[in-house]
Amino acid sequence: MSSTQTTEVSEPRVVHLEDLKVMVGGQGGDGTLTVINLLSHALKQIGAYTYDTRNVLSRIRGGHADGVLRASVRPILSIGDGLDVLVAFDEEAVEVAKEQLLDHAVVIYDNSHSQLKTVLKPTVKVYSAKFGEIAGLELKKTLLKNTVSFAVLCRVLGLADQLAEEAINWRYARRGGDVLQSNLQALKIGFRLADQLGVKPSISFPKTEPKQGLIQITGDEAVGMGFIAGGGRFYAGYPITPASEILEYLQANLPKFNGVALQAEDEISAINMALGASLAGARAMVATSGPGQDLMTEGLGQAGMAEIPLVIVEVQRAGPSTGMPTKHEQSDVNHVVFAGHGDFPRLVVAPADASDCFYLTVDALNLAEKYQLPVFILMDQALGQNTQTVPEFDFSRVNIDRGKLLTQADLNRISVYKRYEFTEDGVSPRTILGTPDGFFQVTGNEHNEWGFVSVDRINRAKIMRKRMLKVEAAKKDMPRGRVYGDQDARVGFISYGSNLGPILEAMEQLGKQGFKTKFLLLRSIYPLLEEVQEFLESVNTAFVVESNLTGQLAGLIRREYGYADKIVRINKYDGSVFRPSDIVSQTLSQLPRNGGE
Amino acid sequence: MGVSEVPKVFTPQTPIWCPGCGDFGVLAALKKALNDLKIPPHETILVGGIGCSGHIHNDLLVYGYHSLHGRLLPTAIGIKLANPRLTVIAAGGDGDGYAIGGNHFLHALRRNPSIVYLVMNNGTYGLTKGQPSPTAQIGFEGTKEIPFEPILTALSIRSTTFVARGFSGNQVQLQFLIKEAIQHANAGKGFAFLDVLSPCVTYNDTYAEWRKSTVDMNADKSFDPTNRALVFERVLNTLQEGKIPTGLLYKGESPSFESMQLKDPASPIATQDLTPAGKIEEFKKLIARYR
Repeated sequence: MSSTQTTEVSEPRVVHLEDLKVMVGGQGGDGTLTVINLLSHALKQIGAYTYDTRNVLSRIRGGHADGVLRASVRPILSIGDGLDVLVAFDEEAVEVAKEQLLDHAVVIYDNSHSQLKTVLKPTVKVYSAKFGEIAGLELKKTLLKNTVSFAVLCRVLGLADQLAEEAINWRYARRGGDVLQSNLQALKIGFRLADQLGVKPSISFPKTEPKQGLIQITGDEAVGMGFIAGGGRFYAGYPITPASEILEYLQANLPKFNGVALQAEDEISAINMALGASLAGARAMVATSGPGQDLMTEGLGQAGMAEIPLVIVEVQRAGPSTGMPTKHEQSDVNHVVFAGHGDFPRLVVAPADASDCFYLTVDALNLAEKYQLPVFILMDQALGQNTQTVPEFDFSRVNIDRGKLLTQADLNRISVYKRYEFTEDGVSPRTILGTPDGFFQVTGNEHNEWGFVSVDRINRAKIMRKRMLKVEAAKKDMPRGRVYGDQDARVGFISYGSNLGPILEAMEQLGKQGFKTKFLLLRSIYPLLEEVQEFLESVNTAFVVESNLTGQLAGLIRREYGYADKIVRINKYDGSVFRPSDIVSQTLSQLPRNGGE
Repeated sequence: MGVSEVPKVFTPQTPIWCPGCGDFGVLAALKKALNDLKIPPHETILVGGIGCSGHIHNDLLVYGYHSLHGRLLPTAIGIKLANPRLTVIAAGGDGDGYAIGGNHFLHALRRNPSIVYLVMNNGTYGLTKGQPSPTAQIGFEGTKEIPFEPILTALSIRSTTFVARGFSGNQVQLQFLIKEAIQHANAGKGFAFLDVLSPCVTYNDTYAEWRKSTVDMNADKSFDPTNRALVFERVLNTLQEGKIPTGLLYKGESPSFESMQLKDPASPIATQDLTPAGKIEEFKKLIARYR
């Protein structure tokens, strides 16, 4: 066949993997993420845990784009190291992936435009065919090359044709007849090409029954679901990568629960709309990324000063300024902890996986109302947008605590109602708009207990302390961190967010090399809890792992607890996530000569 | 419970305004309108802005919120959507609404939420000692900028439903306009925009000038406030004659923001029972597509 060629000669050896990594790369608009999505679904049906990530540019079409899917027999939260299979729609994708290709790797290459020129390891098997050209000729739609290539990919992995077909049905059934039919046809063409190419299964993944009770979901979607389950009914946002999915999720789903998700004219408006809704009594949330948080900072201070419950999701991306909108970074720790003029209370929680995104969103809604302040959910691009396999969320675990919220009956029992009454824990009972006898004055100016503007010195000092007292009081309700690894280890990691997966895998690799380590995963970033001090006391060296240049979390920990002699930074700030190997190599190169003992 | 000397909730306070401030006239007309219309005070929220006018909510026994500078409208819209049963009145200044809050003003006009927006327009930033605002006339404090004309802007957006201008020196007209505005909003007809000429006696005392130059457009029986194009032309012509058009200038129909956004405006988001217990099966449906 003129359109196909293989470099393969000897009898193929099947490589059995319990941990499989596949990249699909091409130009933006090639449908690379669709192939990842289809494969992810198919592998889940044979019992795999999956994790996938996207590497796209901030443009609708064009420019290199790729997705990486990792499947494992164990739960995973990282893209790991190395690649077993590459599907490339152009030469650039091969160039990008080349370094990661393992010895046994298979490359499926679309040579519609040019023959593959990149020189690869001789052990790498390459199947080339004109996927795009054939899809264009036979289906009148070049874009269907992605489904054609998916068929070949499934054959390489030894996945049953039926499984591939089911994945197509799963994805396109909702889209209606034409789309579904043309994709099923494309799949058949792909299988025919695979036959012509002589594709034999060369990589296999263990097939088991699909695991029950698992879902594949992104952190952003999990936050959206947590918001609904946690009683959130008012959401306002402004489109921004990588937080737009929360807006989209809630616009699609919140109306089912008689809630509303609005797209405001800017982030300033979004946060003020949410403040208004919260005053009226709705559980309200906004979500954004760093640049949007810049604009929301004004409203943040208002929430802190006027004591209005509000949840703010900050999905970090590579800054500063417009930065790299689609790229990963964790450089807004300082932003969420310190943003705003003046001293006011706030809380910052940090989920590490999609489950956490769900449950901590519920917690954040409770914390915001219980302590009447802004609560950040600090996330990052990888956590927000990567799809991972986690246990189904348990809705029966959802508990709603609205704190000191006075009803009309409560008001009947008290003789005086002051909105900002001084109390032991700093939390004053509140009412919602429309409550008879619950009148309040709420203001962002300094005020007295009644809510009237006041510059009285005695009142000022007292009410400043009252507000900040709430941060102390909230400590007992803040999500605790999790400690992993060897309790006796003297070398530790401290980190948060999507670094959980890469760190756990790095620890495993270090363990194999004879290094005992442990890891404190923080879930409360502000205030930091005593767990940080306890952990630092228990180790000689603490590597603070974070995706930024200046070590913002490390700085926060030093500011709070000291231990400058023990804290060593591991940073990455090239826009990509940590791979386990990054952490292993940085750990080994920075480990004190005595191995941290 | 015995007779208590201490009031149960806050006691309204006289605003900090200078004697003779136009805002007193606005406050008086607002009080009168709320009383006459018998609006339940606990179902009323007055959202103030920043600046002198931002103290208006202190002197009424209704719910009061002192919003951020320029952010009254998003706040008021958030309130209205969360609970459409409330009477929501945003009342701020011209710097607040037309300068720092200009973007929100445009989008509120476009969205048509059923709230009242009262702008106490004096052409100056009184609280910061007299800088020119976007509506300052050329020459005021040396400004060389063309003034912003909010009425023309409001008329130019096709989904506006209520555009009016009053003068705090004309109580009869102002009370009428505020009542009309509240009734428009509370009937769910949309955004009731009322610009009120409210002189700053200290930095921009325009009482005498405005008494001379204001024209009550409704006095002319041929004036049809439902014809947008003609209203625009009449307002523009009047302005070009050096006069200031006042009155109920435009009244139209367009779907309200809350009716477009809310699934069930009759059952407010804000007062829903949030207990998850009865909703578990519905929640589980959310999970289905991720299996």
